[in-house]
Amino acid sequence: MIYLILQIENLSKSYGDKEVLKDINFSFESGKIYGLIGRNGVGKTTFFNSLNSDIDIDSGKFRLIDDNTNIELTTSDIGYVVSEPIVPEFLTAKEFLQFFIDINKDKITEEKTLNEYFEIVKISEEDQNKLLRDYSHGMKNKMQILINIIAKPKVILLDEPLTSLDIVVQDEMKKLFKSLKKDHIIIFSTHILELAMDLCDEIVILNNKELELIEKNNLNTKKYKDKIINSLKEQNNA
Amino acid sequence: MLNTLKMSFKIDTAYATNSFIYTLKKLPILKDILSDDLYSSTSLKNFIRVLGIILTSAKLILYRLLYFFIIYMIAFRIGRENLALIYAHIYVVFALIGLIINTNLLSATKKKYFSIILFQMDAKKYLCTDFVWGLILSFILNVIGFSTINYSLNIPVLLILGLSLFSSCTKIVGEAISIWFYRKKKYLLTTRYKVTFTYIAIMLVVSCLPLIEICLTKQVFIIGLILLLFLAVISVFYIRNVNDYKLIYKKLITEKLVMNEKNSEAYTRQAMVAIKDKDKQIDNKKLIGKKGYDLFNTIFFERHKEILYRSAKTFSLISAIVIVILIFLVLDINDFAFEINNILCTQIGWFVFIMYFINRGAIITQAMFYNCDHAMLTYNFYREPKILLNLFKKRLITIVKVNLMPAIIIAIGMIILLYFSGGTLIINYITIPLFIILLSIFFSVHYLVIYYLLQPFNKSLEMKKASYSLVSGLTYFISYTFSDLTIPSLYFSIGGLVFTILYIIIALFLIYKFAPKTFKINN
Repeated sequence: MIYLILQIENLSKSYGDKEVLKDINFSFESGKIYGLIGRNGVGKTTFFNSLNSDIDIDSGKFRLIDDNTNIELTTSDIGYVVSEPIVPEFLTAKEFLQFFIDINKDKITEEKTLNEYFEIVKISEEDQNKLLRDYSHGMKNKMQILINIIAKPKVILLDEPLTSLDIVVQDEMKKLFKSLKKDHIIIFSTHILELAMDLCDEIVILNNKELELIEKNNLNTKKYKDKIINSLKEQNNA
Repeated sequence: MLNTLKMSFKIDTAYATNSFIYTLKKLPILKDILSDDLYSSTSLKNFIRVLGIILTSAKLILYRLLYFFIIYMIAFRIGRENLALIYAHIYVVFALIGLIINTNLLSATKKKYFSIILFQMDAKKYLCTDFVWGLILSFILNVIGFSTINYSLNIPVLLILGLSLFSSCTKIVGEAISIWFYRKKKYLLTTRYKVTFTYIAIMLVVSCLPLIEICLTKQVFIIGLILLLFLAVISVFYIRNVNDYKLIYKKLITEKLVMNEKNSEAYTRQAMVAIKDKDKQIDNKKLIGKKGYDLFNTIFFERHKEILYRSAKTFSLISAIVIVILIFLVLDINDFAFEINNILCTQIGWFVFIMYFINRGAIITQAMFYNCDHAMLTYNFYREPKILLNLFKKRLITIVKVNLMPAIIIAIGMIILLYFSGGTLIINYITIPLFIILLSIFFSVHYLVIYYLLQPFNKSLEMKKASYSLVSGLTYFISYTFSDLTIPSLYFSIGGLVFTILYIIIALFLIYKFAPKTFKINN
């Protein structure tokens, strides 16, 4: 197990006059799943897009620190699972996976067979030869998750990845994320508080343009939940 | 580089082959015979792959030949003497236009999204390989193009090579400029439409210089080519030295919202019919005394005033200006008056095309769908026959009113023009304007009826029904065909009146009978 820290330093981002992220300083560690919660339009996707270099930021640095190194975070360190999965619709799942493995041979440390990979996300042999176009939203999501974890990126950003999945698949995915957390920094954005509390080790809210860790201390589930909701309400009143 | 090219080809051909099989599987009889196993059948895929390569090559060659032919036709029109020189002149100017507008390296396409983001290919390697391959392909196609066109041009071989080299150099320099500009300004040069259009306009004027016998000379071309070669060498170094292609591309793709899988056509449609800021506030006086669907309909049209009335007003204004100019010309020039009278009395078919062109029906129905029906159709109460037909009636009246605005101006203008251009039979003063008014009503009914009967859009405003496109295409084709018809306007307008009235009656009957079943969202 490698201990990793993702350190965010002085991150700021505005759209015109509207400031969305303001001088954020925060650290995420491996071994934990972080639930990122915030009200609609508060800037969760902007935060992810900033980390993933999808947009220009006004200021800030992202460092990736392990026992021996302290380096700048690059896009190849990140696996970003977006809420609306985008897949090449006219490839079969098998072709998609095969091409991905062929292209990323150098990055994949423990290569498995195609079937072993499909087994991770429980995609049957029959479905493997179907066009991704004919996949349901949930199945496309599974493929997206699979592709994003194969190359073992150090940081995994998950933007509402479980919302469209059925209960059984949700359960499988939760187990998968839990199994991945020891070697990865996982940040999981969701609107469903119960899901965050069930899956995540820490809850972070994006509040007043800043990230705030909501300490659980010794609170029971009900009180912890109230504390999170109150923090989010404060944001609305701020 | 070769490996990247090979992989890129592999993905492309797999994608194209599967698309082809998918299309096959949609065909009536084949869809029952063919199964999903086909996607894993190697022998069939190999066959389709070869077929695909042949067809794609044929398409590329044809497009390039068409481009060469268009330049040839322009050169031929400008002057038949010195044809080869004029051809070279236009070719060079067009290549210089391409230098700015035909850049490809930074275009955020779906294919690049798959390769760079999903498959995580090395962005620099991928984009440069794609670019070099594009250059080689373009050079080969140019040689094919020149060899074909040279049967009648006789351009010296050395000049052909020079021109092909010139074209390749413009591509290299163009890409370098576009990358340099994006890195400096954080936006693409081509998105600055004023600059781009001004440049194109200037270059188009330059391309027409042979008309006044100013043409590219051998010396100027050689100097230009040497200069461009020099710039191309610098550009190659620059393109090779840029290392942040992946970051540039990620930002471009986020900006372009390709991530939402919005295809550009549907996206443009949505933007076209989006409610304008001006219309977000409605004057409350207009809503007093209205309730239910009457209120619903009034709100809808008030919110779309900018989209609907502005273009109708613009067309009315343009029509009025054209008519006034024509009246002055008719009063001033006898020959012109005769010509106009002749057109109005024997070629009224033109007005079918004009009325088709100015009718706002298509855009109104798109606005209806995107800003109202695609949400409302998910509620069952909205699809009850009585409510649906009631709303149809209210919409029809409003659409007819909107389109009548320019139609009445054209009709009045025709009466005046007919009178001042030499007069006509008294009955023509009635039937011709009436025909124009009815044509406007006809197109209003037509668009709304095909919208209700063939509702073609899915939730994203993508066109999903071939039948709608077919009917729209036929409408255009028939309207255009009428413009060539020479027939006394009296017969044409009376025939048109009868047909239009019959069509409206039948269409309304069909709506009442079928719309409750056909008016739904396509999946």
